[in-house]
Amino acid sequence: MNDAEEDLPSTPPEPGEVGLVEPHDFVHAQPFAFESGQTLPGFTLRYETYGRLNAARDNTVVICHALSGDHHCAGIHSLSDRKPGWWNNIVGPGKAVDTNRFHVLCVNVLGGCQGSTGPSTTNPATGRPFGLAFPFVTIRDMVRAQKLLCDHLGLASLHAVIGGSMGGMQVLQWGIEYPAFVRRMLPLATTARESAQAIAFNEVGRQAIMQDPEWNHGDYPKGGGPRVGLAVARMMAHITYLSDESMDKKFGRRRPQKPAMPDPDHPAAGAAPSAAYTFDVQFEVESYLRHQGESFINRFDANSYLYITRALDHFDLPAVHGSLEQAFAAVEAETLSVAFTSDWLFPADQNREIVLALLRAGQRASYAELATNLGHDSFLLESEDLYALVRSFLGAPHPS
Amino acid sequence: MSKLVEKRTVDMQIIGDWVEPGSRVLDLGCGRGVLLDYLQQTKQVRGIGVDLDFHKILGCVRRGVTAYQGDMEAFLRAFPDHYFDRVICSRTVQELTDPAAVILEALRAGRALTVGFVNHGYWKNRLDAFFRGRKPHNPVYPAEWFESRPANPVSIADFERFCAAKGVRVARRALLRGDWHTPCPLRPNLLAGYALYDLTR
Repeated sequence: MNDAEEDLPSTPPEPGEVGLVEPHDFVHAQPFAFESGQTLPGFTLRYETYGRLNAARDNTVVICHALSGDHHCAGIHSLSDRKPGWWNNIVGPGKAVDTNRFHVLCVNVLGGCQGSTGPSTTNPATGRPFGLAFPFVTIRDMVRAQKLLCDHLGLASLHAVIGGSMGGMQVLQWGIEYPAFVRRMLPLATTARESAQAIAFNEVGRQAIMQDPEWNHGDYPKGGGPRVGLAVARMMAHITYLSDESMDKKFGRRRPQKPAMPDPDHPAAGAAPSAAYTFDVQFEVESYLRHQGESFINRFDANSYLYITRALDHFDLPAVHGSLEQAFAAVEAETLSVAFTSDWLFPADQNREIVLALLRAGQRASYAELATNLGHDSFLLESEDLYALVRSFLGAPHPS
Repeated sequence: MSKLVEKRTVDMQIIGDWVEPGSRVLDLGCGRGVLLDYLQQTKQVRGIGVDLDFHKILGCVRRGVTAYQGDMEAFLRAFPDHYFDRVICSRTVQELTDPAAVILEALRAGRALTVGFVNHGYWKNRLDAFFRGRKPHNPVYPAEWFESRPANPVSIADFERFCAAKGVRVARRALLRGDWHTPCPLRPNLLAGYALYDLTR
């Protein structure tokens, strides 16, 4: 093995922050046909960019978000923001996705609810939210809409497309749909084909929403809707993003110091002997999940959740193209696929299969695996190993 | 240049000589991708490496070499017959749990296989064992027993026996003296320090 030679440790410059950022809206005023055959007279995509587009207009890195993510992946919107964008640890000046080198673009997906057109958008025909009148959306629809934005921005080609989970599906779709436009694909913790287990979890989430009477067949006013159902869907889904080990480490069987939801009928519930036998929050993991559910309903639309999970379910590249090799036959990008050992939602083997199929199709592809215990959410991990890998892949010489 | 690096260079040159320009090459146990990098530059190969260790894969990606983190036998099984023009197994066979399975699988997935290994039958290794009564300890095997990876040392005689028993055809041999440079035609199992085999089925 040629392992005698040690690589010099990379010494990236001290990373900085992208700082204050603001979202933009791209309005596409022409009809858009969805894969389902349904159409919209036009759509809006909300997006953010960081870093500068170069003169050749070819240094853009597109970041694709996951199911519950959005276009705000780095920086802050105001100085009072408590948290920066969802992938702030990897995007910024001097960071692994270096905004000193790259023009980073992140778009809220079509069908989403953070500013892009989706089921919660007002239907101009009725003056009410689209609800279930919104067309069924697919991963390919999301990518095709983003390409229209790229064309609008005058981008010549993409340096890379990066994304985890559903973002990884979009990455693969990007490389397949626009082979000459995409130079690198970096899918993380994803799959080329949503598995029965993943569909099953999505279905339980959808049922929680649809069985909530407030859902009302998708017809509910803005700000209303199936809050209980959506919270339960989120609580359940959140478990699939973690792992047994990480939950045990984070919560174990610990109990909250104070009851998370004080009961006015039992002011001293924590001290009363009967408190051991209630269905109030008794374990930290319960209050954590309740908090996840609570905060989710304030930022996410239940119908969007239905539509986007359906888009995940329908994602099946081998079925659409005959085989995964055929799906990748025309790809021109070089790929690096990254998986995480503790991810049981999109397990390592499903990520390996992407790379093996790319190689069988004669493409340039690499596969790396990080040993983590954080489950599916590991792709958001603060890991120097992951940063080094991403940085190297984005900067690696590209043989043509 | 240290003696070890010189030796490696000789090794890489011979391996490179057996590689067709522009061919599809798989390096089993690719480490940080030094060999594939060399082959990409000198032979314009389309290369892919396999290694178990994350940091080795990182080293490959850094060099612009594509690599796959995982088990080499499972990797080979994922490819159709003769998919690779050449598979290379350089200083790796002595660490395989099931060397026969990997070699035969490599000869299925590849049209040709290069195997390179340090000859355990080399006289200095024998003397080392005879006089010191300990595992070989020299510039090639610098690690102490308690710091070494599990190894299944192989000699030229062992390897010849394997090829005969399994019906593996030896297209070429490069048997080299202790300097890993001078050809060693006579009594190689005793006098050769390094062996390279070009195999087909």
